[in-house]
Amino acid sequence: MINRFRALWNNVFRKDQINHDLDEELRAYVELVSAEKVRSGMSPGEAYRHTRREMGGVDQVRQRVRDVRAGALLEKLAQDVRFGVRTLAKNPAFSLVVMVTLALGIGANAAIFSVVDAVLLRPLPYIHPGQLVNLSENEPKAGVSGAGMSWPAFTQLRDHNRSFSAIAGLATHSLTLTGYGEPAEVSTVSVTADFFSLFGAQPLLGRALLAEDGEESAAPVVVLSENLWRSRFGADPNIVGRAITLDQRSFTVAGVMQASFRTPFVGQKDQIWIPLVEDPLFGGWRTRPPQTHWLPAIARLRPGVSIAEAQAELQTIGAELAHQFPAESGWQPGIQPLQQVIVGDVKTPLLVLLCAVSLVFLIACVNIANLLLARATTRSKEMAVRIALGASRRRIAAQLLTESAILGLLGGVLGVLLAWGSVTAFASAVPPGVPQLHPISVNGSVLGFALVLSLAASLLFGLAPVLFTSRSDPQANLREGSRAGEARGARHARNFLAAAEVAVAMVLLTGAGLLLRSFAHLLSVSPGFETEHLVKAEVSLPRYQYAKPEQWRAFTDELMMRLQTQRGLEKSALAVPLPILDNSINLPFTIAGNPPQPQGKANMANYVSASPGYFQVMGVSLIRGRPFSVDDTAMTPPVALISEALARRNFPHENPLGRRLIFGFPPNGNVSREIVGVVADIHDVSLQKEPGPMMYVPFAQEPFWGAEIVVKGGLSAADVAAAIRAETHNIDPGLPVTNVETLPQAMNASVAEPRFRTLLPAIFGAIALVLATVGIFGVISYSVSRRTREIGMHIALWGRRPRAFAAWSLGSRRSWRSSAWRQAFLRLLRQPAFCLACFSP
Amino acid sequence: MPAPQSDLLQGTLDVLILKALALQELHGMGISRRIAQMTNGAFDVKAGSLFPALHRMEEAGWLASAWGESETNRRAKFYSLTKAGRKQLQTETERWERISLAMGAALGMS
Repeated sequence: MINRFRALWNNVFRKDQINHDLDEELRAYVELVSAEKVRSGMSPGEAYRHTRREMGGVDQVRQRVRDVRAGALLEKLAQDVRFGVRTLAKNPAFSLVVMVTLALGIGANAAIFSVVDAVLLRPLPYIHPGQLVNLSENEPKAGVSGAGMSWPAFTQLRDHNRSFSAIAGLATHSLTLTGYGEPAEVSTVSVTADFFSLFGAQPLLGRALLAEDGEESAAPVVVLSENLWRSRFGADPNIVGRAITLDQRSFTVAGVMQASFRTPFVGQKDQIWIPLVEDPLFGGWRTRPPQTHWLPAIARLRPGVSIAEAQAELQTIGAELAHQFPAESGWQPGIQPLQQVIVGDVKTPLLVLLCAVSLVFLIACVNIANLLLARATTRSKEMAVRIALGASRRRIAAQLLTESAILGLLGGVLGVLLAWGSVTAFASAVPPGVPQLHPISVNGSVLGFALVLSLAASLLFGLAPVLFTSRSDPQANLREGSRAGEARGARHARNFLAAAEVAVAMVLLTGAGLLLRSFAHLLSVSPGFETEHLVKAEVSLPRYQYAKPEQWRAFTDELMMRLQTQRGLEKSALAVPLPILDNSINLPFTIAGNPPQPQGKANMANYVSASPGYFQVMGVSLIRGRPFSVDDTAMTPPVALISEALARRNFPHENPLGRRLIFGFPPNGNVSREIVGVVADIHDVSLQKEPGPMMYVPFAQEPFWGAEIVVKGGLSAADVAAAIRAETHNIDPGLPVTNVETLPQAMNASVAEPRFRTLLPAIFGAIALVLATVGIFGVISYSVSRRTREIGMHIALWGRRPRAFAAWSLGSRRSWRSSAWRQAFLRLLRQPAFCLACFSP
Repeated sequence: MPAPQSDLLQGTLDVLILKALALQELHGMGISRRIAQMTNGAFDVKAGSLFPALHRMEEAGWLASAWGESETNRRAKFYSLTKAGRKQLQTETERWERISLAMGAALGMS
């Protein structure tokens, strides 16, 4: 082994000495053999010639010695690379086209792969991620799955199980942080005490939450995320132990959690964690009856416990719960791997994107194969000369593949640069629904992916010229000017490649076209309410100071009064929640006087609490009856408005006015309300979803701890924001006004996800089209240049130029029509139906 | 380009070279002549096979080489066996004995 290394070392670094020695050795051999022949009676000249003939040529012997030496392959490779680089540099336009094409293909793939890698492939960024599971409660008969757990079920499960080493519940919303600059809403995750230990998350400063913090009597503490600590608290190293004010209540900072830890499902950088018991909203929910399923829960399986075993134990516990709370029968705890739940519905669109982008890559490869093939025909004479001079076909193939590999790797480098440049823009275009527990970046595995791609590409397009050269006849190629046209085989190969390219590009374009059409359709859908000249802002009330509905009502009454007396803000209203922009509230209702609905088949409708001017401001027309008025107060009988869809569904043949519906936001679920009017349908959930049944109540009768304010008028969003802020702070300086946007802006953001799903395939389709066009142009112009003589002959024989071209183009079209590839092309064209099924809502 | 002597069994040339060098160090032509002499002229090793083999075996560490003077006072490269080369010769010899016995038995020549 050591000998081999020494030999390799010498061959590489003392090459001249070694070669000189070999020459000397062979010369000595020739002279010694000649001398022997002279001794046996030959003349010196004759002996010398004889010897050389016997040897079969000194050069050949020298080459064969070199071939057996250590590192001979390496030397050949170096030679090929040198020669390849020279050839490519001699043809800069060609090399540039190939590398840019490849860079587009590889860059697009690497960029998409970096998203797929961050979202789908990499395990969750927690210790032993395979043990993490998501717990939910399901009611299969009612078709409800993946609901949160009720508090009794959660505690029962947490305290009486053998399958899990830890279970933690988490609920998300936002709290108002005051005292550090402008009051701000902070994304808050309220967690049970085991939360951080379950994930094995280590704090950067201070401590994470402990079991004691979950006690009812504990002092309120908060854990800050590193990003928030840096942006909001100036990375204050003495933050631990300080008090911060959340919703007007003092919390002591227990610790700062490092930035790499992100809460599953939330994935936000700026956030805080507080114990669930201290949460102004959810803390109180723990006393709710077991019928309310609100708490998402995550658990860690004990080592060695499988999901099936845990599922079996959950069944038993579920049965016990049903025994304990008979109203709960039918509900079952469910378990799923955490990663599966998090990745959920982004998997298919991402994989479809990956497919689309790999088609672009395929087109790029075919394109380059075509270019190389065209070049191989022009280089066939060069190859023939080299074969005639004694190069083996294998050697030539190796050299051609080396050239392709150089192109491939250079293209790969450019592609990675492209991906690196675009991935930031790309990551910001990813809609908020895509969980980003890992940052999207060009990392090692993306680089590896790009390397594999460029090598695969080199092999793919490098094989075309190799196959062509190995089939061609060097003798025919050597004959000067022997060829009027071009080889039939090469032409067919190129036609086939061009056809395949068009086919793939058509698939992408058709898919992109369908997506664009459905997206355009989505944008053209009227939401059912006006958006022009509307501005919205959110005011949120801290729930410690403003604990009672009377206070909420008093605040909003005051605010609306102050706003509506200002110039330009007369048309102000408030509602919770706003359609499309906020999560809708879906509640069950019953119709007074009708027999109760069977279990699990309750009537459901979306619930909105709105101020009197809301329908006028939003441009939602009243169909019959009356709108809410300022006379509908907490003192007057409860009233409600319903949407046309609800009227159609539940009162098909009668006048709903005067009938009573029993519904309400908890805890007012059993309030009977008189229907006083019917309003037009609006898209409440999203533009994709058809308008469903809605029920509205007066805000004065059913207030919330905050509201969305909508203002119609000519004022800019900034002016409206300033006015609302000023008036809000006149009432209470500690209140935040957030999410100020014009409605068109906000609506635009609401279609971010469909846009993301449309934009990328559209871009890929465009790239594919450009590549395919360039490819076809290349093939045709090359073909014309090769067949100039043929075309000239046509012109000479038949006279007119057009006919010559017609004959020529007919020829190629005939070959296209006859090819089986046309069939494949047509078959491929039918595929986009699949893409459409994946994308269309 | 002369084809490598096809009637020379794979590995035969290596043994012959090792054997030729067992007694004394020789230069290229010397090895060729010695092999012819040892095999009663059955094997005439051509330069096209000899030199690649010599260089390969030297790289493998079986042979060592040094420049010296030939019998005609010509500067020439002399090859000699290394320790590894002697060991290799021994293993090869044993292997050949086994093969020739086996072949002899198979062809009914014993």
